[in-house]
Amino acid sequence: MSQTSTQTMQIGLRETTFVGKLRQRIARRTEGRAVALLAVVMVVVSFTQPLVFTAYPVSLGRIALIGLVALGLTAVILMGELDLSVASTLAVSGVVMALIPDVWMGIIVALGVGLVIGLINGFFVAVVGINSFIATLGMLFALRGLAFILSDEAPVRITNTDAGIAFGLPLLGPLTPRVLIFILAVIALQIFVSRVKAGREFFAVGGNRQAAYDAGIPVKRRIFTGFMISGFVASLAGVINTLERTAADPRAGQTVLLASFAAAIIGGNYLKGGRGSIVGTLIGATALGVLQVAFTLSGVQVPVQEIFIGLILLLAVTTDPANLRALMGSIRSVLQGRLKSPS
Amino acid sequence: MAKETLTEVITVGNSGEEDVRKNRSALPWMAENGIFIVTGLLVLFSALFVDGFASLVNITDVFHRAAPIGIVAVGMTFVVISGNYLDLSVVAQVATSAVILLAVSNEYGVPLGMLAALGAAAVYALVNGIAVGYFKANAVIVTLATTYIGVGVLRFFSGGSIFFGPEDGPIRAFGTSKLGPVPYSAIVLVIVTLILAFVLSRTNFGFLVRSYGSNESATRLGGVNTGFVIIGAFFVTALAAMIAGWVLAAFSNTAVSSMSTGYDFQALAAIIVGGTSVFGGKGSVLRTLLGVIFVSVLTNILVLSNISFGYQQVALGMLIVVAVTVDALSRKVGKR
Repeated sequence: MSQTSTQTMQIGLRETTFVGKLRQRIARRTEGRAVALLAVVMVVVSFTQPLVFTAYPVSLGRIALIGLVALGLTAVILMGELDLSVASTLAVSGVVMALIPDVWMGIIVALGVGLVIGLINGFFVAVVGINSFIATLGMLFALRGLAFILSDEAPVRITNTDAGIAFGLPLLGPLTPRVLIFILAVIALQIFVSRVKAGREFFAVGGNRQAAYDAGIPVKRRIFTGFMISGFVASLAGVINTLERTAADPRAGQTVLLASFAAAIIGGNYLKGGRGSIVGTLIGATALGVLQVAFTLSGVQVPVQEIFIGLILLLAVTTDPANLRALMGSIRSVLQGRLKSPS
Repeated sequence: MAKETLTEVITVGNSGEEDVRKNRSALPWMAENGIFIVTGLLVLFSALFVDGFASLVNITDVFHRAAPIGIVAVGMTFVVISGNYLDLSVVAQVATSAVILLAVSNEYGVPLGMLAALGAAAVYALVNGIAVGYFKANAVIVTLATTYIGVGVLRFFSGGSIFFGPEDGPIRAFGTSKLGPVPYSAIVLVIVTLILAFVLSRTNFGFLVRSYGSNESATRLGGVNTGFVIIGAFFVTALAAMIAGWVLAAFSNTAVSSMSTGYDFQALAAIIVGGTSVFGGKGSVLRTLLGVIFVSVLTNILVLSNISFGYQQVALGMLIVVAVTVDALSRKVGKR
């Protein structure tokens, strides 16, 4: 199922024509569903709400917000794990940053908090051996509580408001620092998972963990790395949010959670690991970000927005090629009346 | 023929478990039986040292709060035992059931209200069950999506407004009635628990749920329509959540889309603390009831001691992580 196995399988029938090569290239990619969603969203939005494109700084900001959290998730999903605690990590690190008077000190400590949370998650998953879905769900609630405790259950204003206002202004052309950081994060992670050995090994750990052990890959260390990346990136999103709004909300992150999961999963990242790409997540985040901004600009009620994003997530998680294969298998066995007896 | 093979697989699994039991170690024993001791100690401790715990008013209050969460938890035990982690959408299901019951009852009478809520529960069970059972999609993500869809639909149609029941209707009468210090809702909890305990441990369906949780492919190869079993497990959860919604609506005589926030989490805490394994295949409904008592008493003494909401959340989160750690470590010890 992993990329390498597909490649070795196809060495025998190497295509020579241009069209053949192109077809092979496309068949190897995992971003198909994200591209389809993006195309549909773009076409519909350009007819119904072209304001999304004229107000592109807003759209870019929204894409960066969803995309940043989704990027961290991608690193973990590649290894077949999941980090549900990102939403609370975002809230906690935002509150921590706002509580520290000095901006730079606050940013550093907040990012450190994200790394520590990643370390704790990694410990429970890699060392103790708890399923990451449950471990990070526990962390999701515990950290939400921590954010409430630290903030006294109310939004915290940052001391240096000027820094926050300066952060919201365009830095390079129309690009705000948030968008620039997001672009940097995309490039860094793309290089990491495609060119760096440790990053390439993420696919191996997710594709076949036992084989990864046997091949001498330090699986536990990779799992730690993955969770620390997702914790760090989530706290980065928290810091950016806090700076832009000049206040930290302990309830932050709940709306981002759903959209970023949808972005990562529709981007072709297989939840059982071993297959996926950063580019797919980027495309997924773009589609969902544009959709959300279009909804907001058209004055669609929040419940309806949640229904739509929820439907996209449901669609994303059920239409993965592996899920469709499972469905076909189920249908076949039902049509045949019963499965063949093993004896 | 196929059935025999399946039974064999299960017996083999059981004999392995007995070996583990022979391997005398504190941790597996603690994971197995710790909850009895811990719950007993907690109740004793709160009765002796927490002011106001042992009063009649407080005990009734604990029952009132524990009943809906408990009903959700005993139902959700089926999904957990089937190896599908949990059903997050119970939050949406409980609120939907409560709102539908009051809204429809006000217009068309209680029986139709109950029937409409049953319809909603069936829809949840089908969507979750088909996505998890036939598409083999991850249950956490599927139910996360259905939670947001469900709450969104509910808020869209109710406009976020609060529904009030009639002051003198049968719903109100049920919600306020008590048998001694025990409210009717707690009796409903006990009845639901007994029925589900019977279903899980004595019926064919319960056997298949446990079998699916401990070895999915063996169950499928035994000729079982596994998708159907999963839909069934989600249906039991949905029915329990529906009843919990009714009990909750009757207790407060109001219903609003946000009334069941945190139920997913508290129910999961109760199930895991009760000793049902998140790895699937192992657990029981009666243990979940014990877990419910533990979680409810713990929450109650935190509230009585004026500990803020944030600390309560942290405590429950840690509780889940610790309970799962004990479960995971005891499995590791058992393997050696």
